[in-house]
Order: sequence, then structure tokens, then C-alpha cells
Amino acid sequence: MVVVFFLFLIISYLLFDAIPGNAFQNLLLNPSLPPYAYEETIALYGLDQPLSVRLQKYIVNFFKGDLGYSYIQFPKTAIELIGERLPRTLMLFSVVNILAFYTGFFVGKVLAWRRGSKSETWITITSVFSYTVFYPWFALLMLWFFGLKMGWVPIGKFLTPNKWYDSPFDSDEVFLEMIKYMVIFSLIYFVISILTKEIESLTQRRNIRLGSFFGLIVISNFYWNTGVLSDMRFYAGDIAYHTILPVLTVTVVAFAGTALLTRTTMMEVLKDDYILTARAKGLSQKRIRDRHAARTALLPVVTSFIFTIVTIIDGSVLTETIFSWPGMGQLILDSVLREDIPVAMATFSFIGVFALIAHFLADVSYAFLDPRIRIKSQG
Amino acid sequence: MNEINEKSELRKIRIQSIKRNFNLFKQSKIGILGLVIVFIFGFLALLQPFLFMTNIWDEATYHPVVGYDSQKILATVVSCKDIEYPTPEYKTPSDCPAADEVNIVAVAPYNPGIKEGDVIEQFIQPAPPSSKHILGTDSLGRDVFSQLMEGSQVAFVLGLLSAIVGVGISTLLGTIAAYFGGTVDAYLMRQSDLVLMLPTLPLLFIISAFAELKVWHLALVLGIFGGLGGSVITIKSQALQVKVKPFVDSARITGGSRMKILTSHILPNVAPLALLYMVFSVTGAIASESILSFLGLLNIDMSWGLMISVAQADGYINQGMEYWWLVIPAGLAVTLLAGGFYLVGRGLDDVFNPRLRRR
Amino acid sequence: MFSIQGLEEDNMSVVLDVKNLSMHYETLAGNVSAVKDISFSINSGESFGLVGESGCGKTSVAMTLLQLQPENSVITEGSIKLEGKELVGLSEDELRKVRWDSISIVFQGAMNAWNPVIKIGEQIREALREHYPDNSKQTNIQKIQELFKMVGLDDTVADRYPHELSGGMKQRAVIALALSCDPKIIIADEPTTALDVVIQDQILNEIKKVQELLGLSLIYISHDIAVIAEMTDKIAVMYAGSIVEMGPTKKIFENPVHSYTRALLDSTPSIRGEKKKLKSLDGEPPSLINKIDGCSFAPRCPDKETRCNPNEHMRLVEIATDHFVDICSQGKE
Repeated sequence: MVVVFFLFLIISYLLFDAIPGNAFQNLLLNPSLPPYAYEETIALYGLDQPLSVRLQKYIVNFFKGDLGYSYIQFPKTAIELIGERLPRTLMLFSVVNILAFYTGFFVGKVLAWRRGSKSETWITITSVFSYTVFYPWFALLMLWFFGLKMGWVPIGKFLTPNKWYDSPFDSDEVFLEMIKYMVIFSLIYFVISILTKEIESLTQRRNIRLGSFFGLIVISNFYWNTGVLSDMRFYAGDIAYHTILPVLTVTVVAFAGTALLTRTTMMEVLKDDYILTARAKGLSQKRIRDRHAARTALLPVVTSFIFTIVTIIDGSVLTETIFSWPGMGQLILDSVLREDIPVAMATFSFIGVFALIAHFLADVSYAFLDPRIRIKSQG
Repeated sequence: MNEINEKSELRKIRIQSIKRNFNLFKQSKIGILGLVIVFIFGFLALLQPFLFMTNIWDEATYHPVVGYDSQKILATVVSCKDIEYPTPEYKTPSDCPAADEVNIVAVAPYNPGIKEGDVIEQFIQPAPPSSKHILGTDSLGRDVFSQLMEGSQVAFVLGLLSAIVGVGISTLLGTIAAYFGGTVDAYLMRQSDLVLMLPTLPLLFIISAFAELKVWHLALVLGIFGGLGGSVITIKSQALQVKVKPFVDSARITGGSRMKILTSHILPNVAPLALLYMVFSVTGAIASESILSFLGLLNIDMSWGLMISVAQADGYINQGMEYWWLVIPAGLAVTLLAGGFYLVGRGLDDVFNPRLRRR
Repeated sequence: MFSIQGLEEDNMSVVLDVKNLSMHYETLAGNVSAVKDISFSINSGESFGLVGESGCGKTSVAMTLLQLQPENSVITEGSIKLEGKELVGLSEDELRKVRWDSISIVFQGAMNAWNPVIKIGEQIREALREHYPDNSKQTNIQKIQELFKMVGLDDTVADRYPHELSGGMKQRAVIALALSCDPKIIIADEPTTALDVVIQDQILNEIKKVQELLGLSLIYISHDIAVIAEMTDKIAVMYAGSIVEMGPTKKIFENPVHSYTRALLDSTPSIRGEKKKLKSLDGEPPSLINKIDGCSFAPRCPDKETRCNPNEHMRLVEIATDHFVDICSQGKE
């Protein structure tokens, strides 16, 4: 995989290097760039040297985290830009993906369970069309309906400029704080679910989990009232308000993919003999569906879910363009269209990092979920 | 004589098997729905050249790109003043002038001496649907229905071409990887890992920065990337399952050459899965094309994505349902055709995949 | 003497009573009648064998007894009474209470009977939780340990995943699972098919031992008449969805009446007794899609010209005490 990653870096460099007309160098003559930036960029990328040296330099620079200035937003470097945009994209899409995963998995498993019924046919057809919907069109219609016609949600942008006029915080600080909160919240809940796994009575188990979930919400209320956070709350709320529509729109499209995949894998699992055993044991339908069928069908769905991480940046392009959400997707589109090569190259290479992380996570989670693999990796 | 008999016998068996398979497919309601959708769009795509050839439609009026037709209506001249709303005639300021009325301020400069209450001829663009233009015309006076038909031609050509290219590549590489194994396999698998890693949209942006993308370029690019990516892995695993089947061993024992075994034993057994992949990849290709032409990165005269793009650029989408014929048909067409192919694939899978079959 | 017999009679209460059971599958090609007008009853502590070729409807009978038949099956008539309670027509929720609690099953192919991602112990405990919701975790674990001891497994198996066990161990664990809720009757549907001969024998002994120990009723389903002979008190021979001969095992082996039973016995080698040439039966069982008038075995029957009456409508008649034979086989006597 590491080899593949290096290949990916090389390809992403060569792609940009090959843009006709020596664009890399010529664009540096952009009048908004001061002469020293020109010198530095030439030196950094070795633009006056042969290809092999250039390539080498690029890879070394990538690992050093120094990819030069942006041509268009000059004093900022490519890495700075990514550092600024990435949290925004990550926040939006982690919320979307988690929502889409849960709803999609739930719908998919119900679909497989009710196979052949009228409601199954209709919901499957709806899911297919929501999966293949022409996304920009759908997003624009959502924007028109909820934003313009109903006026329930703001149209575009990730914050209301007026409110932030005299804000003591930078929006990125608030973003990071929100992401931190979300990670802590989900980690605690995850630990609780693992701890409660051993409780024998099923209803008790469910009640404890539900209770702790609401408990966590109450605690988070206090959490957002402490120290700096109590001032930040207002701004965090503003950002959250702006996320509603994009989250809703992407979830509608993204959940359908998970639902359809779950439906297929679950239908395969339902033919397995242990489902019959479970029925013979007199387990309840819900228990067979959730514990036996869905648990096994989960494996491929989780893998594909994790690989959506790779496509986060890819998929964010349209969403961010339409909802004017200044994240990685907009960055990559802007930099390519306006030929801001260092930034375009950096974002492109960054996708490779994402893919690496995704592969790693997929392996780990697979080992966690599938005991058959756990043993293999031990032995 | 005997040979002819044999041939007709063979044909009979084939027809029977097609009939039986179709009967099986009919079980899947979603598959049938998908097939119907695909046929409707296929019909639309073929209908347009037919209408032009038979001169039922003349090109000057109905051509999707250069055609022009204006619709005249008789409008009453009214004057919309800054007064308090609601008035007896209008509820809000935006209701004046109504559909069959025209504001005096807009026409007075060209029609000296006009006064309120006069009835004058007005050209309207975009014109709403009428018997002449089933889906109205766009802001340039072009027939939307004809554009829709042109768009379905593009979608079919692109979708099928890229699917055939893609499936051809992945079937070839997948079976080769499975059959030869070892280094060849390892290389091909790493290659598809790499291709999977490449972000499709940004990559297409960059390619479009290199050169003007035409539809068939895009079809090739999509086909190649689709064919080198994940489907190689799936086809390979299918081919691996076939490879260990006894009939492949017996072919080898009886002295079949590698080529012969590949083409007459492994390929036919991989083909159904490949076909399935083809149907699914049409969905992806149609979506990609629409997105690219929506973003204006594709050098194309007319397509569904472009129709939406124009409607958005002219601000019609933000006016919602008022100009629905510019907004809804094209977007719906992309969704429906892509979904139609997907449904066919799902239906095929549900019925013919032994692991999914109900009985 | 009399009194003892009377006592035995009282103990031997009927556990399962199947009357005129008919079931078919609806398929695209037509209706497949898998079970045709079958009646039998099983007393407590008795073991009952169901023998026949593959595809003769044995497994369909087993599934129908638990009401676990696939969606496309239809029970056209008949009743299944378990301890006096009618099972046909019960709702899924009512059936859930009966399953495992009164009647449990050991499926063919234990390999696939376990969910691969859940520990063995947990899968057994799950059944216990369902049927004894008030049990504490400790009680359940103890119960599982007892069961494992009974079938010859050690306690650690409970904490293992199915793929970590050998085929024989899995099958023993399946038996433990089947016993977990103290059922009155166990169905063993070819429980040894996928196992090698040595393990097969161990498993058979295990089942026999447990059955006698706990005084269970057993329905043993197999295509292997030799195994059936060893395991059961009473057997029914099935052909093409109907029972053609039924009676005490001993009687049937000593005096097989139906031509099919004879053919089955002739095709099985016997260690004791005289050496004889094994005979095999020509032809194949009939397709169950077509409705068959008269004796379904007639096309393959070696005796159809001599002593049979193949045109008779198939039904069982009692030719000796407890010994029932299809009427077709004795037309011309």
C-alpha cells in the first residue's frame, strides 16, 4: 500500500507537471506575486532542473510539509490553505457519513427482511432514484425549496458574516472545538456500548444505553457552558445552523448507497443456515434480523463505508460549490480552474493520504468485526 | 439437410433459453420498471432523428441547439405602480403583471402612444409548454423537448460506450490476473488500488484543463478508469472461483491450450457478472457526464447537464416552479435514466445471482 | 405382568401426533408436492426414524414439524399436534415459544448452523435468554457447562468462535444447543452427513446416550437405513413424499413388505447374516411436480407385474400390529 501511495504521489506530480505550455513556471509570472515568491518557488520545486530532480524534490517537500505559496492567495502557503479548509470539510462530511450510515444500514436491513413485499419494492425504487439523483440539480432544488421558498435555512456560506463581525474567535478555532467535542462525545458513547455488552438482560442493556445517550447530551450542555466555550457557543450555533441543509441534502443521496448495499449483502446472509438455526431457536424476528443477519452483513458495508473517506474530498467538490461551503472541495476546484498549481497539487496528493488512512482503518475495523480475520492476523 | 436441422434446433434451444431467462427476470418488479424506463428513453433518443428525417419537425424550429421559435401571446397593457398591496387585482408586487398582461413601462419605449387597456402582441421566451412545444422553449427560444431527446442520445452513446470499454478492460485483466496469478496478478491488483485512489472529479478537471473534452473522449476516460479500478478485483475473484471448477481441470487434462481454456471456459462463466457490471457502470457514466457538462468542463453542444447549467446560470432554478419546464425535465431525465439502468442491474442481480435468488 | 405393561402404557404418552399432513412448494415450474398425506405419532422416549432417498421429502417433513418451511410452501391439509397443541396455523410469535422449548432440531451440516461472528457460548445463551428470561447469567453459564459435559466438550468451547472448532466439535456443540432448553423431542436431520466415519459413530452414540439419559423423543432422519436401524425403535420409509411402510424397526427389518423397503435393504451391505449380492434400483425418483395417480413407485418397482396393484390410490393399511404398508404393494395377494 505504501508503494501504491508513492506511485500516487508520482502520478499526481506528473499530471500537473505535464500541463502543456510549462504552465507551472509561467503562471508564476502572475503580477500579484512578489519577485521573492517567484525565486522561492523555483528553488523549492527545482523548476529549472530536469524532471527526475523535480520529482524527487516534490516528494521530499511533501513529506516535509512544505509545498510553497499559493499563486492566488499569495501570502498563504498551500499547506496553510489545506489546514484551514480541511476541518470544515471533515466536520460536514463526518456528520453526513455517520447519519447516512445509520439510516442507510437501518433501511437496508429492513428492506432485505421484508423482501418481496410491496413496501420493499417501493422503498427500493425510491432509494435507487435517491442514489442516482442528478446531484447538483437536487442540491439546487433543495436550496431553492428550503432556503428561498420556505426560508427555513440560510442559503450557502458556513456562517453569517454579520454575526461574526466583532467575534473574538476565528472560525477555525470554533470548528476545531466543535470537532473535538464530537469526537469526545462519540468516543465516550462507544466505550459505554462496549461496557454494556456484557449485561445479560436485553431490555436493561438497551435502557442503559439510551439513558447514557441522553445523559451525555445533558452533560454536553454543561460542557458548552464552561469557560471560553460559553462565549463560543453562540458562534458554534451559527455554524451548526448553516450545516443543516448541506447535511440533509448529502445524507439523502449518501444513505441510499448504504441502504442498497446493505440490502444486497443482507439478502445473501439471510440464505445462510444459521438464520434458520436462529429461527428454530425461537428468537424474535427483530433479534434474528439485528443480531444474526445484520451483524454479519455489516462487514462489507463497513468496509465500503470506510472507503467513502477516500471520496470525501472528491465528493465534496459539488456540495461545497453549490452551498458555497469553503472547504477542500472548493479549494481543489478553484485551484484547478484558476491554475493555482501548488495548491492543486497539494490537495491532490492529500487525497492519497486519506486513502492510506482509509486502508488502515478498514483493516483494523475488519479485524475488530470479523473474528475469522482476527485469528489469522494473530497467527 | 441434417446440418440445417441441427442449426434450427440450436436456434430453438437458444430462443427457449432466452424466453426462460426472461420469465425469470419478470419476477423482479424493479428490474422490469428499470427496463421500461430505459426503453422509453431509448425511444426518445431514436424518435428525434426520425422526426427530423420525415420533416414532421423542421430543423429551423426544433433543432435543439440552433433552432428558434418564439411564441406570441396577446397581452393586455397594465401599469404596475408602487402602491399598497394587496390590491383588488394582485396580491403581491410580483403578481403584476400577470401572465397575460404586460407592464406599460416595459413596452412604452417601442410602442409610442400605447395606453393602459390596449391589447398588443408579445413574444415570450422562455415560453411555457404548448401544443407546439410540449415542454416549452428555453430562454433562447429553443425547444426543450428536442433538447431532452438530444440529451438522451448523448447519455446512451456515452453510457454504453464507456461501459463497454470499461467492462472489456476489466474482464480481460480480471481473467488474466486470475488465470496467471503470481506477479501479473500482484501488478494488476496494485494498479487497481492506485486507480481506486485517484479522485474521479478532480482528475477529470485536470484532464479538461489539458484539452477540450469531447463526449467520446470522456467515454474513453471513464471507461478506462472504470475498467482498471475495482471491477478488475471483483471479476478476478469470480474468475478464480471458475478456475478451480472441475470442468477447467478436465479441459486442461484433455489438452486444451491456455488460450482455449481462457476463452471457452473461463470467459463465458465470468460474462454474466461482467454484464452486470456493465449495466451498473452505465449509471456512473451518465452521472459523470452530466456533472461535467453542468460544471461547463465538457465541450458539448447539448446535454442534460448543460440544460441544468443554463437554467441555473440564467437564474431560473431560484425561481423554482415558475419555470418548471426548464428545471425539472433535464434533472429528472438524468435521475431516471441512471436509475433505470441501476434498477435493471439490481433486478438482474436479484434474480440470477444464486446467492440472492429467493428460491 | 399385565400391570407392568399397563404402567408402561401410561408412561408412553403420545408426544407428537401428525395426521394427514400434506405440503407443497409453489415454484415457477408448478407445485411441488413434497409431503403427501403423512401420518405418524411418536411416544415419549421413543425414537422414530425417517428414511428415504435424497429429495423424497424427509427434510420437508422436519421443517414442517417446526413450522420452519420456506415462504413458498403451503400446508394444504393435516395437523401437527405437539403435546396436544396444534402447531399448524399458529402465529410466528406463538410458534417461537414452542420452538426449542418443546421441539428442537439438529440440522444437517453443523458447519453452517453457527453464526460465524458470534461465540458459541453466546449463541447458546441467546436461546436460554429467550426461553428463560429470568435466568441470571451465572445460571445460564452453568447450564451450558453441564450441557457441554454431557456431550463431551470442555468448558472453554463456550468462549470460542465456530471456525475455531473441528467439525465433530461443532456437531457436539449443536447437540448441546438443541438440548439447551430441555425440549421434549429432538429432530436430528442427517446430523452426521458432513463428518468422517469415526466421528459419525461418536456423534451417533452421543445422541443415543443423551436421548436415553434424558428420556427424550427423537426423530432421526437419514438416507442410510443401516444407521436408522441402529438408532431407532420405529421407522417410516418415505418415497416421493409419502410414507410407504411404517412399523417397529425390528419387524420391518425382519419382514419388509413394500418393494421399495426391500430394495433399500438389498442395497445396503450387512455385516451379519449371509453374504449376498447388493442390488441397486434402476431409474430415478419421479418428479414431484406432476400429479401421480396410483403408486408412485410403480415405474421402478421390480414387482409391479407380479404382486403389486399399482393402480390403487396410495394409503397405508395395517397388515400386522403397528406395521403399516402402502396398499399398492399388496393388491394381488
